[in-house]
Amino acid sequence: MQMFEYFFLFIFSALFALSSCKKETKVINETVVDNYVYEINQVAVYQNNIEKTRQKTPEAFLSGLYANLFQSPIEANTLSDLSLIREATGDKQMADELFLNNFINAGGTMIPSNIQMRADLDLFITETYLRFYLRMPNPYEVFELKKVIDEDENLTPELVYQAFGLSNEYKFY
Amino acid sequence: MKRRQFIKKAGLTAGTVITAPYILPSGRLFANTGARVVNHVVFVLFGGGIRNQESIEQGFISNQPGQSATGNIMRNMLDGAEPTEALDVFNYAGGNSMWDPILSTPLSKQGAYFKEVLYGEGPTGHYNGHTVAMTGVYTETGLNLNVNPEFPTIFEYYRKHSDPARSAMNAWWISEGLGPYPSLNYSRYPGYGAGYGANYMRPLTLFFEGQPGSRQLQDAILYQPDDVARINKIKSILDKNFDETAADLPGIQNTADHREEIKAFYVETLEKVQNGGMEFPLPYDNPNLLTGDLVAVAGAWEVLNKFTPELTVVNTTNLDICHSNFTGYLNFLHRADYGVGWLWDKIQSHPVLADDTIMVCIPEHGRNLMPNNLQDGNGMLAFDHTSDANSRRLFSLIVGPDDKVIRQTFGNNGVATAESVDIVPTIAHILGFHEDIPNGLLNGRVLTEAFL
Repeated sequence: MQMFEYFFLFIFSALFALSSCKKETKVINETVVDNYVYEINQVAVYQNNIEKTRQKTPEAFLSGLYANLFQSPIEANTLSDLSLIREATGDKQMADELFLNNFINAGGTMIPSNIQMRADLDLFITETYLRFYLRMPNPYEVFELKKVIDEDENLTPELVYQAFGLSNEYKFY
Repeated sequence: MKRRQFIKKAGLTAGTVITAPYILPSGRLFANTGARVVNHVVFVLFGGGIRNQESIEQGFISNQPGQSATGNIMRNMLDGAEPTEALDVFNYAGGNSMWDPILSTPLSKQGAYFKEVLYGEGPTGHYNGHTVAMTGVYTETGLNLNVNPEFPTIFEYYRKHSDPARSAMNAWWISEGLGPYPSLNYSRYPGYGAGYGANYMRPLTLFFEGQPGSRQLQDAILYQPDDVARINKIKSILDKNFDETAADLPGIQNTADHREEIKAFYVETLEKVQNGGMEFPLPYDNPNLLTGDLVAVAGAWEVLNKFTPELTVVNTTNLDICHSNFTGYLNFLHRADYGVGWLWDKIQSHPVLADDTIMVCIPEHGRNLMPNNLQDGNGMLAFDHTSDANSRRLFSLIVGPDDKVIRQTFGNNGVATAESVDIVPTIAHILGFHEDIPNGLLNGRVLTEAFL
């Protein structure tokens, strides 16, 4: 009987010890990013374009381009069609130019009007850099682009967007 | 020194100086001869795997068990009487009869007709059959690989060794299908590659109703040159501020001007198809008779008509249905023959191409002598192509102006007088750059007997 009591006491003590020996830990839920976070679109932003060293795959380029212009994800069927057209064309750069041309002229793209662009060029340029390049323009880039747009009243936002979509930086991430 | 000796020595010295080779900046010993037979070559890779029994031997269905009907079902390309019995074979895929030939004189009577051509080495597969025909080098690769060939293609030889060098606008590869075929416009060979490749397109995908191009490119417009300049101006500013370049995009790249021309061609061709303005190789204007092969041929004609390239290669492959359907094979062979005749007829009506074009036709390989076990709806047995001796039997046609190309048949005795690897050197000879191709790269020879 006494032996049974010792045994019971041992089990109880062991359970108590196990439950009370939990190591105190502190969960640190800290977000570490090496880029800024642009609050409106909730996407990581590059600090500068030196970070972009890898070329996008054709699918990444096309789906990104579509999303940037229409502000909605590309449908799988559309992406499949575009991939087939690209495969059926030897000059891939030319195919990309045609896709962009078609997107811009299809209607439904989210592009500021010419009046909106010229009403606040700094804002337009900053937003265009963020939309296509996921980074802020540096002051010289703003100056350059602003000058070109200012000097040419026939330069529309659609043409500016196409230049961004076809630029080398847009093909990298 | 006596006067006579002086004159002799001086003459020899002068002669030596004049005739001595000199090293050109390009590294060549002699300047490009540039002597051309004509200025345009259209190479029809009459593919899919064609047995000589149904082509040059005009056996029709006589090689099928219990059948005896013979006759020529390729009356645009070959000379011979059409079948007069078992014509219900042509009740197939929208058709109900044979098509009347478009050419009054078959191509075999308009040039050099090589009745027996040998596919000498390697497996008789579609990819490597095409590769052999377009590189002039036999290959052991037996799979339909989606990779660029190991050795330079005819396009790269043409662009690199023509003098002056030619742009990609002068070299086009147009295929019936996708799969491995888009990869054949340039090779992986060091010193050649995409920089010397051809423009490539598959017309069916790009332009035809219900296909990706008609769905996704219908809103593309042609920009005015001013707007193109605006886009390029901003792009150049943006590119200036970025260290990486996208120049290593896979595939060939045209100049900016040529890209605009090709984009315009795409948009115009899409409009033509939508408006019913595009011409097709159809005898009765019945779109139900159209095949993928005929769409490819029609696309090739659009390119020829618009850009008058110096080197165009187009293929047909639909009759590969022969793996399971012999009746379908005969019908696709019959229709592809019409397409080739139509293309030659169009070329003869073109102000630049007529009398200055040579067309070369050859299948990529043949098919087996013995059938497999598959029967089609008419009880006809099907044929594969597994590298037996029969699948190495081909034929070839080289047709052109009567003062340039001989009218003669070679190989009447059933002995091969040419090989499939001879096509590349022959095209190089026609366009005047064969002598500039480095020694040892090509397996074949120039079929000089085809030319006057």
